[in-house]
Amino acid sequence: MAIMSVEWGKIREYAAATANARAEYMTDPKGPIPPTFLATVVFWDDLERTFELPEATEALDRVGLTRDVRRLLSLEQEYVFHGPLPRAGDVLETSARFDGVEVKQARSGPMILVRFAVEFRGQDGALRAECLYTSAYLNPPRADEPPAADTAVAAGQVAS
Amino acid sequence: MTVTNDRFEPRVGTQLTPRTFGPLTATDIVRYQGASGDLNPMHHDDELARSAGFPAAFGVGMLNAGYLATFCTDYFGTESVRRFRVRFRKVVYRGAILTARGEVSRLFESAGESRAEIELSLVDAAGTVVVEGTAEFAVS
Repeated sequence: MAIMSVEWGKIREYAAATANARAEYMTDPKGPIPPTFLATVVFWDDLERTFELPEATEALDRVGLTRDVRRLLSLEQEYVFHGPLPRAGDVLETSARFDGVEVKQARSGPMILVRFAVEFRGQDGALRAECLYTSAYLNPPRADEPPAADTAVAAGQVAS
Repeated sequence: MTVTNDRFEPRVGTQLTPRTFGPLTATDIVRYQGASGDLNPMHHDDELARSAGFPAAFGVGMLNAGYLATFCTDYFGTESVRRFRVRFRKVVYRGAILTARGEVSRLFESAGESRAEIELSLVDAAGTVVVEGTAEFAVS
């Protein structure tokens, strides 16, 4: 659990970085967040700890996976908002949630999908938003070959 | 050019006017990385990316998603997003010209308000989908 302070300067910076020129972001000190702004949660919370939750270690052990977040390749991200959109000045409490492991049959063989989430709550405890992540768990490279290109891509992708 | 259209009246099948982003520059990439906190060097270190088998450092998936979000807030305003989902399909490189497209796929009621569901895609100059997505916005 961490505290995330939603800052106007960060909203301006994020909006500019995504070519968003809407006046609400640029001129309103209490303006709303852009739709994907909660990606900046990584400045406040360490998402890797999701994989230390008991339900995560159990699920990963069950399918025989090592708990190596560098093997996660981000496939999908979803932002869900409940009630009023978070805005500059809000203080949110974050908590990690592990949503499970799924083995899917892809053309190239079995693919392991890992789902996890971050919940954002207001100071009154009400759920304000969720970030839902779906990542592919890449097979570890054999000892005699260099890491696959996509494994390198996966490094650091948990939060991207 | 920014298309601002807060009075847009969505109907199922309505296509949003496409918006083009780019050509993607190194500055676009590092600015987004700094803003988002995703400092994965594969997005700005050419040598590292080449050592992993890529022709060069490549763009950030969430920056592409951010362009789709910008495309949407141009249409639906900044207060109306209720859900925004993206799936990453393809990496892009500096110089990429990316076009955001959207179509209204569903109109429905939820939590006491009218909502529009939008099918989104960001395509490269060859027309290949880079990011696809689905979003929900409150509409009046």
